[in-house]
Amino acid sequence: MTTRQWLLSTWDGNIPLIVGCIAALFFYAILCKLKFSGKSILFTIGVILFFIALDSPISFLAKGTLFSAHMIQHLLLVLIVPPLLLLGLPVPPHRHILSLARWIKLPLVAWFSGVGAMWFWHIPAFCDAAASNEFIHSLQTFSLLFLGILFWRPIVGPRTEERLFPLTGILYLFTACVACTLLGIWISFSSVSVCPIFMHPANPSILPLIQGWGLTPASDQQIGGLLMWVPACLVYLIAILFLLRRFYHQHGNAVPFPSKEKRKK
Amino acid sequence: MIQTPSSPPSAEIFHAQNRENSFFSWVATVDHKRIGTLYLLTAFFFFCVGGMEALVMRLQLARPNNTLLSPNTYDQLFTMHGTTMIFLVVMPTLIGFANYFVPLMIGAKDMAFPRLNAMGYWFLPFGGLLLHFSLLAGGAPSVGWFSYAPLSETPFASSPGVDYWILALFALGIGSIATAINLITTVIALRAPGMSIRRLPLFTWMVFINSFLLMLAIPALNAAIIMLFIDRQLDAHFFLPSHGGSAILWQHFFWTFGHPEVYIMVLPAFGIISEVIPVFSRKPIFGYEFVAASTVAIALLSFGVWAHHMFAVGLGKPMDLFFAAASMLIAVPTGVKIFNWSATLWGGSIRMTTSMLFAVAFLLQFTIGGLSGVTFAVVPIDWQVTDTYYVVAHFHYVLFGGSLFGVFAGIYYWFPKISGRLLSEPIGKVHFWLTVIGFNMAFFVQHFLGLLGMTRRVYTYPDLPGWGLLNMISTIGAFLLGISVLVLIWNMVVSLRRGTVAGENPWNAWTLEWAASSPPAEHNFDQLPPIHGRRPLWDLAHPENQDEPNASREKSKETKMDKNKVGMMCFIASEGFFFIMLLIAYIFYNYSQHPYPGSQWLNPLKTGVFTFCLLSSSFTYWMSEKKLAAGSHNGFLLWLAATLMLGGTFMTGQAMEYWELFQKGLRAGTNLFSASFFMVTGLHGLHVLIGLIGLLIVLGLALAGDFKTGKTAIVKTIGLYWHFVDLVWIAVFTTIYIVGVRT
Repeated sequence: MTTRQWLLSTWDGNIPLIVGCIAALFFYAILCKLKFSGKSILFTIGVILFFIALDSPISFLAKGTLFSAHMIQHLLLVLIVPPLLLLGLPVPPHRHILSLARWIKLPLVAWFSGVGAMWFWHIPAFCDAAASNEFIHSLQTFSLLFLGILFWRPIVGPRTEERLFPLTGILYLFTACVACTLLGIWISFSSVSVCPIFMHPANPSILPLIQGWGLTPASDQQIGGLLMWVPACLVYLIAILFLLRRFYHQHGNAVPFPSKEKRKK
Repeated sequence: MIQTPSSPPSAEIFHAQNRENSFFSWVATVDHKRIGTLYLLTAFFFFCVGGMEALVMRLQLARPNNTLLSPNTYDQLFTMHGTTMIFLVVMPTLIGFANYFVPLMIGAKDMAFPRLNAMGYWFLPFGGLLLHFSLLAGGAPSVGWFSYAPLSETPFASSPGVDYWILALFALGIGSIATAINLITTVIALRAPGMSIRRLPLFTWMVFINSFLLMLAIPALNAAIIMLFIDRQLDAHFFLPSHGGSAILWQHFFWTFGHPEVYIMVLPAFGIISEVIPVFSRKPIFGYEFVAASTVAIALLSFGVWAHHMFAVGLGKPMDLFFAAASMLIAVPTGVKIFNWSATLWGGSIRMTTSMLFAVAFLLQFTIGGLSGVTFAVVPIDWQVTDTYYVVAHFHYVLFGGSLFGVFAGIYYWFPKISGRLLSEPIGKVHFWLTVIGFNMAFFVQHFLGLLGMTRRVYTYPDLPGWGLLNMISTIGAFLLGISVLVLIWNMVVSLRRGTVAGENPWNAWTLEWAASSPPAEHNFDQLPPIHGRRPLWDLAHPENQDEPNASREKSKETKMDKNKVGMMCFIASEGFFFIMLLIAYIFYNYSQHPYPGSQWLNPLKTGVFTFCLLSSSFTYWMSEKKLAAGSHNGFLLWLAATLMLGGTFMTGQAMEYWELFQKGLRAGTNLFSASFFMVTGLHGLHVLIGLIGLLIVLGLALAGDFKTGKTAIVKTIGLYWHFVDLVWIAVFTTIYIVGVRT
């Protein structure tokens, strides 16, 4: 099997997923009253990337064959898809729709959901379980998406008044980046396998192909760790630059550090 | 200096008229301007020392197969030259400028913590002295400024030079962190009304960002040199591969610090350039936001690209690939800046003062250095030219052609403010051209030498075609540089005596420091001009054409954060990074299939009990704070005493555990487990001890009745530190006792 044939043949064509994605776009169109804008593009890209993460060869490889593919999927679900979806959402008209419990809105909780999503699913036992068991895998997928949305809400949430002050947001993202980097460093340099299941792929027929790409289990894990470390931090960095842009464009009343009264609101 | 009116001053220096300029008044000063001046003078002294070392080296290299210096002397010289220029010249110069001008630029009276500022400065001469004391104690370090292990370990460097190097860097690091925290706090807490963060002068902004780099990068160096010190003094072998250690880990740790360090040395210079170019082009900076934001991008990226110093180590293809890409990326924000400065020049009415000449030369030379830097990101090129003179040429273009040219631009720009007199322009031009010609002669040819294969850090070279000539050119250039420094000194002496009196604002500049008198009064400003834009003095002079005509004139809504709290948070962040590095080291050495003997003697249960004591002390402290807030002084004292008891119990538990391990024959040098265990728990114990001392001080103040007046900031500040110490222990306990112990 050549890489090309293989790339074409491993799309899942998962019907519920396709239906779900189309339904999401459909509801989104209704929500926006069929008005097309830049936001709709972001939302659509988000849905497409979500689909790619779960249906493409990435998803096939992530289920126990290639750790680095798993990492791409993981990062797409936590770091890329949620902010795109959030940026695409129109401002909710009524406060009670989609409004979350009070404690879940706390920035600290949001921070820990994002960082926790990274760390929790790379505890060897959970990582293995998610890569081998279909149910746990979908549990992982949705928890990642959900936690990712929680994490990005204070930065790019649709309600601007609930967003963090840009400089605080930079601190929020920077510390998350550090936490993510530490995990990436651990995965890249660890002599111990983080997800032992990827050491013995479930689908041996594909092994010659992977070896043809020049990957060994060790370098595969290293790439996985590096993906979490370098490109993931670039995502945070880009977000930080957007926050700076927002900071410099908020003219008029400058409130670098919101007073306590304001925060309590 | 505290003088009670009841005790009449005994010595003459205490009389007001003599106090002004006496030696003692400089030693005891806490004025940010004097401290800044001291920084600059000390750095200039070491600049001459380091420059002399370089000249001797260039003399040795002037001819092939020269025998002026022995290999060992040559090794000592390049080590001292590198260490001096980085830690005793470039960093203190930039910190000195920051110290002098950041408070002025934001309209503050002084730094946030003037005494801490003085402490930060005095660590500089102390560190310099420690480093040079090695000359009397058996020879200077001779292992390069990065002290690569295992060369820097006892078997290969048995003289105490490296130990003095470690101590000096540690002292200098403490000073730098202290000043960084001080600068951050000053910018956050002491800005004048109207000086919002959005309006910070770019120099201040870059110093602000740079201080975060200092605060977070130096702990990595501290962790590394502490480990090396333990290796050398307590016979551990963290970095000795012959005993299971890892020399590569030294490189990782060192460059985790070392790459941000590169930007630490250049960001404030960027800031100087961003002030000088607009003023002498008579235009506001082009794209302020881009310059400011790209600084943040550089700062963040600088932490993620250290491995490009290690391509030759053989980290493997994936690693090389990712770091090559990240390293190329960092050129983007730097390039953005170059374009912004060029665009500021474009169409401006340029005044080619000496300061401006240096700034323009900076642009060109830094671009060359930056471009040769990008070539290193290409792994095969890096393999080809690593450890050759190509590298030497590259970093001198960045650090001399970049940073120091920025510093020279700053000297000519700010000298009138510091001294009250302008530097002579004609002599300045001589200085400039000598520097440019000398610098490019000395270092441009080294690109070719490097490509021809001449290796750095070797005391001589064979007589190959062209090598002798190119080296001779380089040596002549170096001596021209030496002469140029003499011209600068001459210029300063002449101008201090007979220079044109500057007045408040000789350059028609726009930032607040030019609103103060030259030199500024001790309290800086008699009256601050109103600030409602990025260029307050421009707005003042051109009320009809303001930068931000629609800026709200109403009273600013900014709330000031408490400076003690900000300072402590910064310190905690710095210490947090330090412990992260230590824990990484612990994990690196102990989380493996074959743990070293010794970890089985750890008793998680017993230590768990003491852990509980420490954690509950956080709770008792919190309670004591609540009692204090509620006004119950006795309740406060009671809970505070309980905190001290619990902290003391924890320390006793630690001491007992150490005793038991000693009894079983475990020493720091026994194996990598014992070394890393004693290092991590010992350093944490030290922090607990410091916390206990802090608590005792709080107790003492409380007993003296200090908190009855409502000034309770210190209680909160010490509390933050105490909670932090507990938090660190949770991480340490988890890493060592819960996950680490295998039965």
